[in-house]
Amino acid sequence: MSDIQALDLKGFVTHSVKSVFQTMLSMEIELDNPPDKEGICTNGHIVGTVGFAGTVMGTINLFVSRTFGREMAAAMLGMTVDDIGSDEEVNDVIGEVCNMVGGDLKSRLCDAGLTCSLSIPSVTYGNGFRIESKGWARHEQLGFRNSQHSALLEIYVKIAN
Amino acid sequence: MTLKVLTVDDSKTIRMIVKKAFQSYDCAICEAENGAEGLAAATKEKPGLIILDITMPVMNGIEMLDRLKSDPDLKNIPVIMLTAESGKDNVLNIVKKGIKDYMVKPFKGEDLIDRVRKIMPLESKTEADSAESKPVKYFTQVEDIVVLSLPAKVTRPVTVEVEGKLQAKVQEMTAAQLKKMILDMGGVSETNLSLIKLIIAAFQQCQQAGIAVKLVANPKQSEELKGFQETSQITVSHSIEEAKAVL
Repeated sequence: MSDIQALDLKGFVTHSVKSVFQTMLSMEIELDNPPDKEGICTNGHIVGTVGFAGTVMGTINLFVSRTFGREMAAAMLGMTVDDIGSDEEVNDVIGEVCNMVGGDLKSRLCDAGLTCSLSIPSVTYGNGFRIESKGWARHEQLGFRNSQHSALLEIYVKIAN
Repeated sequence: MTLKVLTVDDSKTIRMIVKKAFQSYDCAICEAENGAEGLAAATKEKPGLIILDITMPVMNGIEMLDRLKSDPDLKNIPVIMLTAESGKDNVLNIVKKGIKDYMVKPFKGEDLIDRVRKIMPLESKTEADSAESKPVKYFTQVEDIVVLSLPAKVTRPVTVEVEGKLQAKVQEMTAAQLKKMILDMGGVSETNLSLIKLIIAAFQQCQQAGIAVKLVANPKQSEELKGFQETSQITVSHSIEEAKAVL
């Protein structure tokens, strides 16, 4: 079984985020300095979350602005932003992006001997809320940038008791 | 013969991507959003192929696959698993269960089609059996009035297509000295921003060409049009006869 401190979590997740954006959304996204959550929160934001539990436990949170969320949904569904009629489509796309990034990380953890199962993604959206997780052995923050939009991805991991 | 494909995924987005991937082929797509619904749909529809996700609520894809394989009526239906998990153990586990192939998300629709073609032939839709591929007739003429029947759902690509046809029709009308047009929302099922933009573009094109134009919409659509700043001031007729009378 691997030591979670030695795992290249940032490398795993950077690769999968870029791959998901490129393949499913036809969007180029680059690693950037992690943006302030407050910066993303302007005019509402969306947080997609997926968890994994087993020998290792963890959670991944993806923060994007409502505007970026709508652009992501339009790109994945092959529509224009104007054609995105409801939050349901945006939430589904954000949840699916989290599922793919979480699924890839889960696979790499399992391959490293840290067996775990993946949860169904959940999505939270609105204004003026904060999501904080405590009590984890590792916490990584990664920033991504696509032209004018930023995304923040947080990873929390610990070995189960 | 039309191939029935069952896509089982809790994500509507993924089901839509699968549906789009098969749209050029002679396939009928049915959908289910979890394993339990998927089993029920498989029993009822007897699909020729199942595209199955793993992580789903109610019943996951692994359990659905186990149940499929233990049902004598369903066990021979080819299954392609679509999974976000590429770990060695996960892949070995599902391959052992007798699936035909698996794809790791993220994926492109064309890659899915390539996988399907490796296990079964896919026939392209012919124009005769594809209602979608038939050219849509947007314009009709009633006496000296041209009627543009707006499509049921206007999306950006539809707007581009209709605007192009409208431009040609306006030139044709100018040459034939026809000076009246009706935009008919009778077949429209959804009032969205793309529709509003199309209506505005049609009004502008007609006005520039000196063509009088009237919009026909039912009372519910009229109220919806008032909700958009761009169309709030447009006078709406409730029938083609009413529009003809005021043109």
